[in-house]
Amino acid sequence: MSEPLLVPIEMDQSWRYAATAAMARFCAGLKERRLEALRCDGCGKRYLPPRPVCGNCHLALRDWVAVRDEGRLAAWTVVHVPILDPRSGRMREAPYGMGLIRLDGADTTLNHYLAEQNPARLAIGLGVRAVWREQLVGAIDDILHFEVLR
Amino acid sequence: MNPVAVIGTGQTRHARARDDASQPDLVREAAARAIEDAGIRARDIDAVVIANMELFEGRAWPELWVGEAAFAAGKPCLKVATGGTSGTSGCIAGFHQVASGLFDIVLVVGFEKHSEGHTQTGMTLTDPYWDRAVASGAVGNFALSVSQYMADRGVTELQAALVAVKARRNAVRNPHAHLQMPGITVEEVLASRLLAHPLRLLDMCPQSDGACAIVVAAGERARKLHPRPAWVRAAATRHEQPYIGDIDRRLVTMRTLRDAAREAYADAGIREPLKELDVAEIYEPVSYAELAWYEALGFCAEGEAGRLIEDGVTEMDGELPVNPSGGVLSTNPVGASGVIRVAEAALQIHGRGGARQVEGARTALATGYGVYAWADVIVLADRP
Amino acid sequence: MIRESAIRIPFRYAAGAAGSRFLAALRDQQRILGARCAACARVLVPLRAFCPVCGSETLDTVEVGPGGTLQTWTTRADGTVFAVILLDGASSGLVHRLLDGGEEACCGLRVRARFATERRGGILDIAGFEPAQGGAT
Repeated sequence: MSEPLLVPIEMDQSWRYAATAAMARFCAGLKERRLEALRCDGCGKRYLPPRPVCGNCHLALRDWVAVRDEGRLAAWTVVHVPILDPRSGRMREAPYGMGLIRLDGADTTLNHYLAEQNPARLAIGLGVRAVWREQLVGAIDDILHFEVLR
Repeated sequence: MNPVAVIGTGQTRHARARDDASQPDLVREAAARAIEDAGIRARDIDAVVIANMELFEGRAWPELWVGEAAFAAGKPCLKVATGGTSGTSGCIAGFHQVASGLFDIVLVVGFEKHSEGHTQTGMTLTDPYWDRAVASGAVGNFALSVSQYMADRGVTELQAALVAVKARRNAVRNPHAHLQMPGITVEEVLASRLLAHPLRLLDMCPQSDGACAIVVAAGERARKLHPRPAWVRAAATRHEQPYIGDIDRRLVTMRTLRDAAREAYADAGIREPLKELDVAEIYEPVSYAELAWYEALGFCAEGEAGRLIEDGVTEMDGELPVNPSGGVLSTNPVGASGVIRVAEAALQIHGRGGARQVEGARTALATGYGVYAWADVIVLADRP
Repeated sequence: MIRESAIRIPFRYAAGAAGSRFLAALRDQQRILGARCAACARVLVPLRAFCPVCGSETLDTVEVGPGGTLQTWTTRADGTVFAVILLDGASSGLVHRLLDGGEEACCGLRVRARFATERRGGILDIAGFEPAQGGAT
């Protein structure tokens, strides 16, 4: 066929998402470096961040329990693809560590960044602790990353 | 369920960028081939199902734009968008429509044209409160689950590399496949660029432009139209909680795939899948996932998946060839990938697999995978 | 509590064989092309690869317009006037815009395509439609 033509169109989309009361409470806690989880009446599973219902029991979650800002690595990786940090507007330099952290007092795991980027120094089961940013706005990335406790 | 069969399939030439074809052109390419394969005309189609993740193409209501390419003008048409399972969900929707007795012939078309947009940006649209500010993309996410799977089951990077090699070598015999690497070696896989430990470039599926269509027909019509219909013996679906942190060790437990497989095998009367299945087309987004699927699908006991690939059990000349088409690791237009699994399984039953035909295939498995842990399991056979 | 979020995605849509020929004809020749379906004798604008009504892929390329008849129109809040124009020789209407604020717009108004001075191979290579000499039919 003759010259295949392409039509370029740039799509800009923006949203404003409303939080549930539980989400708003959790975020208010972040502003004070305070973590808490919602515990299911049925199975006892403690969810952090908060969810509206328990995925196992389908019961509404209502009971808040305190959670420490340290825990253990349940999974880890070191990522080599740079990604934008929306808070600073700059790219988070690769390689950077990522993990699933089971915080002390919760049963779910939290997906967050790790301060360690050497795979030889990462393993499931290592103790980690949150490093908080100076400026807290009430968002999950008020935690800058988790450092490995050695 | 009323007897339902796949009587025709059609695929495009899948590629990194099909700049020669618009989205409707791509859909038409697959749809036209499918109806020709089935020996029917456009007016024989009673309803159409489109499978597509519209955000990736930035076209609101893609079924409007591509519907007429899929012969849907003036007919009932619905779109299914369930991540990677879009294609298998679409096929199952088609099966249900025909099994209901309300429709005799349904066309299912899945497509994706990743090259026209920026899929990775689209995929940042996760939970706005918890997941957008802390993200590493699909690769990082998978790598987290792989670290748990390796720790729990002891699979190695080498075993995963064997999966990656099998896929790309099989694809050489599939004229539709996107990636074909006849000379690929394990060394090449292990030396490819590290994306997120331990996942390397050649452990990952590509992004492809492509479309795939199947024609589904009710019992009597199927028998009249096709000498050897691929009968749907089972079709099971399980979805899962939407947060990776809430799922217990995704690849290790994979309860959705396990439960869907259990239901599908029970419906199809399968007790020993390794023995009773002749071929399997499973949806493997990364090499390690295929190993996890061997265990979840009951091809082997937990912890034995590495041995299965090492012993060649799932190679073309093994006891249960897995992904003769090259799988998702070789071709991945997301909305189409699930339909490709079903189409490739049907081709095997039809005896139309060409160079990738498994001799005497009578019972075939097709699976879908999507989002974090959604699963579809479909069994096709040469008898209803 | 509200969380704001935004994305930008650059798309590049392939026009396909028929679409590319249509856009190239606008850009290079200031001609508007349609497809005549042999089976149902309809002329579809813009040029297509297959007939949406009967599914046939046997289509002849024909030139339509540049004159046409205004079928309907509407004015957006910002003053842009969208219109459906039945180009001379076509069976289906083309969605485009009326130039000059559409003050003379009425159903049946005779209009004519005005091509843009700079053309890039897009639908706005037609700048818009304006009343032709001769008024309404």
